[in-house]
Amino acid sequence: MSRGWRGAGKAVVLAAIMIGLVPYLWMFLTSFKSRVDALSDTPRWVFSPTLAHYPEVFLRKDYLPLVWNSVIIAVGSTTLSLLIGVPAAYAFARLSFKGKEDLFFFFLTTRMAPAISVVVPMFVLFNKLGLADTRSAVILAHSTFNLSLVVWMMRGFFADIPAEIDEAAMLDGHTRAGAFVRVILPLAAPGVAATAVLCFILSWNEFLYAFILAAFESRTLTVGIPGLVTPHGTLWGQVAAVAVVATVPILVFTALVQRHLVRGLTFGAVKG
Amino acid sequence: MSHRSLPRRLYRLVARAGTVLADRGMGPAFLLPAVILLFIILVGPFFYTIFLSFTDLSYSTPGHDGNFVGLTNYRRLVTDDPVFWHSVATTLRFVAASVSIEMVLGFGLALVLASQAHRPRAVMPLLLVPMMLAPVAVGLLWKLVLQGEFGMVAYYLRKIGLVADDTSLLGDASLALPTMVLVDVWQWTPFVTLVALAGLLGLPRAPFEAAMMDGAGRVRIFFDITLPLMRPLLAMVLLLRTIDAFKEFDKVFLMTGGGPGISTELLSIYVYRVNFRNWDLGYGAVCAFMIYLVVLILCKLFYAALGQAGGGKST
Repeated sequence: MSRGWRGAGKAVVLAAIMIGLVPYLWMFLTSFKSRVDALSDTPRWVFSPTLAHYPEVFLRKDYLPLVWNSVIIAVGSTTLSLLIGVPAAYAFARLSFKGKEDLFFFFLTTRMAPAISVVVPMFVLFNKLGLADTRSAVILAHSTFNLSLVVWMMRGFFADIPAEIDEAAMLDGHTRAGAFVRVILPLAAPGVAATAVLCFILSWNEFLYAFILAAFESRTLTVGIPGLVTPHGTLWGQVAAVAVVATVPILVFTALVQRHLVRGLTFGAVKG
Repeated sequence: MSHRSLPRRLYRLVARAGTVLADRGMGPAFLLPAVILLFIILVGPFFYTIFLSFTDLSYSTPGHDGNFVGLTNYRRLVTDDPVFWHSVATTLRFVAASVSIEMVLGFGLALVLASQAHRPRAVMPLLLVPMMLAPVAVGLLWKLVLQGEFGMVAYYLRKIGLVADDTSLLGDASLALPTMVLVDVWQWTPFVTLVALAGLLGLPRAPFEAAMMDGAGRVRIFFDITLPLMRPLLAMVLLLRTIDAFKEFDKVFLMTGGGPGISTELLSIYVYRVNFRNWDLGYGAVCAFMIYLVVLILCKLFYAALGQAGGGKST
């Protein structure tokens, strides 16, 4: 391959990275800018940073509970989806029964279900059940996509483990359920961990369900963002600070599951 | 044969029988909780939506629990709601534009990365950042950099003459939708790149080596070998992106709220407005139901594409 060609390729990749990172970097910088620097009509890349926005928005404006809500909802939905989804995935990977693929397709549709359609009846039902503005409501709603993510991803991970291992464990006197818990699950632990992190990310980033079902007491960080954007006089330093806190943990988590990202996002079709 | 082997065989036989019996119960025990949960959170609400669509439930009249009104809502949707059909058209334009640009750019970038023989995946973590951010945060950061008076990107776009001095990308009715498309492209092109690159690196080497031996050029190899081999995977990515773009809400809601006017009012935003601004839940249920049907059809296509992309290697 010619040197010029390769140089052009490098330039393209570099440009793509810059286009992806610079706007985000700008928001990151804005969270440390004084109002004058943030509103300057020529972009200021160099400025004297201030840490004032973080305590201002998280302590004085009381955004700290939103972080807590986000954590509880993401952990709750992840736990619920794993507890219920992992055994189901194992059953899909190992058993054959009538209508298996139809049931599997049903799980796919739940992952794809449009939030705006599901949230309308949920909103009415949760109001009737007294679940309006509770974290439980959002945890249940987030299971619509997380449960099927677990089933799809873990089916693939279980399928990667040879069925002979189950059989050997059962010959040693385990029941199938026992073989699953004591032998297969430990082998699939890295897959479970990767799936858990992906569930956490999806729930943490989700906006629409949380916005409709819990707009006040139980609102999450993502739901808190639009409230700070006003037609006039948006305090950009503070909104940026909230957005940074809402996104940095996710970037760290992403680094952890990098290897499994492709599989998680393509329903196991591509192993990556 | 020693005398010890008989009890041992007996033990094995009993254990085996026990296992078979336990197996019988295992399928339902493992699957039922998941199925039940889905019925509670999804199937129930789905049928409740259909039920609501035949009522005139509205939270704007307190104490009114909704009467049965037959097909009134459906008639209104078909004959008397130009705004709904406008949002359908807006959504189709948004989906067609953003998904096609993402596919071309994303696959192109994957090809470039794959041709950089030295560790093509190494830069993926940096490229991935936009798609991992919460869509609301993406909307926010683009609203920030596109602000007319002080937005960083708006400033440089004016500087290089791409945008006139007095245009606001978010405030101009003819520019707002293309801007939404570009933001979606910014966020989701890395996804196409990520999956396409995984596909490219997993292609069998033999056909390429054979073509090189025959002296085929780079372009021939791309159209005759790479593209046909990648087609199932690309079809799957295309459908996945189509479904997600069709449901887009967060970024547009934050950046324009559907405006100016209704120029960026996607279906999901229209449905939001009917249900949660006008509190017209009976009619809103019809609109919600329509979105559901479209996604269900796309889902069926996706499942077929998935079977092909998986190449039968799924369990």
